[in-house]
Amino acid sequence: MEVTMDPLFLAWSYFRRRKLQQCSDICTKILQDNPYDQAAWSLKTRALTEMVYIDEVEVDQEGIAEMMLDESSIAQVARPGTSLRLPGTSQGGGPTPAVRPMTQSGRPITGFVRPSTQSGRPGTMEQAIKTPRTASTARPVTSASGRFIRLGTASMLTNPEGPFINLSRLNLAKYSQKPNLSRTLFEYIFHHENDVKNVSVANLKHQKNLLALYCCFNKKLLFHHQALDLAAQATEHAQFKDWWWKVQLGKCYYRLGLYREAEKQFRSALNHQEMVDTYLYLAKVYQRLDQPITALNLFKQGLDHFPGEVTLLTGIARIHEEMNNIPSATEYYKDVLKQDNTHVEAIACIGSNHFYTDQPEIALRFYRRLLQMGVYNCQLYNNLGLCCFYAQQYDMTLSSFERAMTLVANDEEQADVWYNIGHVAVGIGDLTLAYQCFKLALAFNNDHAEAYNNLAVLELRKGRIEQSKAFLQTAASLAPHMYEPHFNLSILSEKVGDLQSSYTAAQKSEDAFPEHVDTQQVLKQLRQHFAVL
Amino acid sequence: MSDSSSDGGKWLDAHYDPVAGLYTFSSCVDLADLSGDGESRLVVGDLGSGLSGMKLKVYRGTALMSESTLLDLPAGLVAFFMDLHEPRIPAVAVASGPCIYVYKNLRPYFKFTLPGLEVNTLEQDVWQQAREGQIDPLTLKEMLESIRKKADISLSVRSLRFLSLDTSDMDEFVQLHKQQPVRRQTVITCIGTLKKSTADEDGVSCLVIGTESSNIYILDPEAFIILYKMSLPAAPTLMDVTGQFDVEFRITVACRNGNIYILRRESDKPKYCIELSSHPVGLVRVGKNVVVGCTDESLQGFTQKGKKLWRTVLPAPIITMATMDLPTRGFQAVLVGLANCEVQLYREKNLLSTIKTPDVVTSICFGRYGREDGTLIMTTKGGGLMVKILKRTAVFDDRDSAPGPPLAQSVRLNVPKKTKLYVDQTLRERENGLAMHRAFQMDLSRLRLAAAKAYVKALESSLTPMSSSLTEPLKMNAVVQGLGPSFKLTLNVQNTAACRPVMNLAISFLYDENLYRMKCSYMRIPLLVPGLVYPVETFVECTSDKGISDIIKVFILHEGKSSPLLTAHINMPVSEGVTLN
Repeated sequence: MEVTMDPLFLAWSYFRRRKLQQCSDICTKILQDNPYDQAAWSLKTRALTEMVYIDEVEVDQEGIAEMMLDESSIAQVARPGTSLRLPGTSQGGGPTPAVRPMTQSGRPITGFVRPSTQSGRPGTMEQAIKTPRTASTARPVTSASGRFIRLGTASMLTNPEGPFINLSRLNLAKYSQKPNLSRTLFEYIFHHENDVKNVSVANLKHQKNLLALYCCFNKKLLFHHQALDLAAQATEHAQFKDWWWKVQLGKCYYRLGLYREAEKQFRSALNHQEMVDTYLYLAKVYQRLDQPITALNLFKQGLDHFPGEVTLLTGIARIHEEMNNIPSATEYYKDVLKQDNTHVEAIACIGSNHFYTDQPEIALRFYRRLLQMGVYNCQLYNNLGLCCFYAQQYDMTLSSFERAMTLVANDEEQADVWYNIGHVAVGIGDLTLAYQCFKLALAFNNDHAEAYNNLAVLELRKGRIEQSKAFLQTAASLAPHMYEPHFNLSILSEKVGDLQSSYTAAQKSEDAFPEHVDTQQVLKQLRQHFAVL
Repeated sequence: MSDSSSDGGKWLDAHYDPVAGLYTFSSCVDLADLSGDGESRLVVGDLGSGLSGMKLKVYRGTALMSESTLLDLPAGLVAFFMDLHEPRIPAVAVASGPCIYVYKNLRPYFKFTLPGLEVNTLEQDVWQQAREGQIDPLTLKEMLESIRKKADISLSVRSLRFLSLDTSDMDEFVQLHKQQPVRRQTVITCIGTLKKSTADEDGVSCLVIGTESSNIYILDPEAFIILYKMSLPAAPTLMDVTGQFDVEFRITVACRNGNIYILRRESDKPKYCIELSSHPVGLVRVGKNVVVGCTDESLQGFTQKGKKLWRTVLPAPIITMATMDLPTRGFQAVLVGLANCEVQLYREKNLLSTIKTPDVVTSICFGRYGREDGTLIMTTKGGGLMVKILKRTAVFDDRDSAPGPPLAQSVRLNVPKKTKLYVDQTLRERENGLAMHRAFQMDLSRLRLAAAKAYVKALESSLTPMSSSLTEPLKMNAVVQGLGPSFKLTLNVQNTAACRPVMNLAISFLYDENLYRMKCSYMRIPLLVPGLVYPVETFVECTSDKGISDIIKVFILHEGKSSPLLTAHINMPVSEGVTLN
């Protein structure tokens, strides 16, 4: 006779092995037999939450609305070194854009792609809604999508016939009395029901009127309000002494954009209980409020209580990096590596810093370390290839690029690999190959501004001025933050004799990179030319 | 009163009113003892907004003492003694348009108008005919145009204005003006004073005026008749006068053709000529030398015979210049207002001191104000008035304040050290050089092949966003705007040929019809002129709400050809709105 395992135990076991779908299925069965089984209900809630769980502590993307309709900005021109929005030009004496490329926001590109490292703060609304590259990179997203969007499909598949818990019928006051259930329920509402899309679809199918549409746009807020209500009631139940509920309240306020209230809750939670998480949340609030110095102080305060905590050190390093202070960011990344020598982000950032400060042989070491740790992707081989080339290890250069080419996941990566091969080709003087490579880069990614720029230079060498000019103009319109196309266009126009456009292009180049000596010289020359009779 | 540290504590800040509402230039500012009580007033010809609000303002101390309206924009303002009456009170002459308005005791006293110029007789005849109604406005216009082309005497202001009118307004204009006789007037561009017979401080002075018709007139101060007329090759803009009319004088004039002419008593033609390399913006005399500021950010010194003495380069474009003359201390220097909000003091080519100002200074005047001899008065671009007093203890060192090698020479370059790793690697390179080279060459050949294959494939299927064919060299790039579900797709098509237009082109799209909807998926492109960017716009609607995005392919097709000329792949962003259906 077969001994069957207790289904709840089995479900628990599945949950611990992270087989969440099976766990949820078993719980559904138990709940069909006994709808009031609180243990199964709680477990299913947790399983559903785990499926869509995101680490709230991690950096998140700022949406279009937060960027463009920023009401908390008081000083439009902050003092240099106190704001994340106005990246001062290399305070710590880091490499200039001539050596290290810039992102759209005017920061040097990092070794590790995080949400906030790619999307800059756009100057105008038109720039904000334009997609110069793809949706995955340079464009700011609305807070509705961003990273919640891919997770949305998962939660939709789990409950095809409607939501597991009908939140509108829930008596939150009752649940807040039960500490066992209230926490899982809160996390469920916060993480699982957060998704605006799913809810809106369900609603629309039921009642197709404008009112429903209006409701569904507010649904996200509504659920956050419910989570907030629950948290508030539970906090009250715990007589305002439970730090966990205070942190959750803070999280809710943060999502709702009430940063000052969130700050209050986190501060209060820290008074009850020092937690690393709370420090990270609070630092996030300060970064959103554009107070990087306060965030740095907070991290340092956190380090007093939790010496050597990796997440806090990483937080400091990231803020330094965002404020263009690369040398001290590198210092902190080194501290991170002392604590955790497998920290991918730290290794990648230090590696790229060494690469751009003219020490490719050391960068090569760091990237090889990543390879040993099992990071195996296109980008890494790409970097290895470039490091090998600049460190004069020619035998491994091209094979690295070949590997990168086989590991390509999408067209953008393919374009980047061809672009880098093009650079190698320029380096060895094979301009035909370079020309082909840059064209291929453009074939795979039509918006590759750097490739347009380099292609224009090659065309100019061939003497095709019209083509060259057209490419430079395209590059300049695709990436106004790059100074190279503007500068090249300026030189080209000057040679052709079009001094007026040369001057305007040089001015744009100066805006993008004020310290560029060659631009200054061109401008000076042009000004002299204009002044002379 | 506070010492500002930037100028080395040489000046006392007596007064600063950032909202005084004074908009003027150095030529319209003067200091004079207007009431004969030994206290100097500041007389300013205020330009107002440039169209209205022109005023003659007089300041005493920090307060505005009087103000009277001017009829036209002032071109220059001077205070001068016109008679020998006691008490010695100077008159104020304001040049505006073709007239000089003379004020005495701050009341209008006399108006002098420049003599009219010779009018083209043909033009006069034509207007005569128009008055008699013999010709209609259109014929009038034709005739005037032909006169303008042929005649060497240019047309009057009235005719020029008439020629610029629309056909509908002509009739009215003719009716309004045909009764008056045709006159040709010139306007005053600069004004100065010249002592008549004595070099005394309060001696009677003549007025010297430069006109748009390239003449210099010297006027008698009492009778207001023209004593002397001189002609120049170009219209004067800046002027400096020295000497006495009855003895010997020297007029230095900067002209609009970029030359400086020096005129003397004996001849009515320029005696010396200085050809500058760029346009002059300021002309000041220090002792016997002339200092000129030019648009190429330079300050140049010349002798009174036009010999170049020195040239120094300034940090910013010059806005205005004035002389600083302290006869009690035997000190003479040049004040230069720069566009970077600084006023620099130069003696010869040496920078003596720098005054930092909160705004760009547009006019400078140095002299006796109130009872203080060394007063510097400046007005700013934003309409502010600034008064500074030179400290009695101030000493200006006569040496170049930026000596020695340039600063950049001592900055150390941040050259990274060669690491041990690098040395190891070079060792490896030395030992296995042959093998490395072979491996690299082999990889390179393979890569060349791979690249060529991929390139051919891309060319065959026209994957690149630019076509390099000789007949239709085109380039396209696409921009997607919007958050969804509606997106605006802009395709920028450009013909990169040197001179040949491209015709008979069309655009077509390929997309997943379950995901996207497009109003028209086929469009014709007009004739493409080389070099211009043609934006082609269309709207795409995303019909899915699953948060999925896809690629839309764009083809540019040529009529009668099956394969596309070029292709672009547009990675559509994720739609973030919900469709109404």
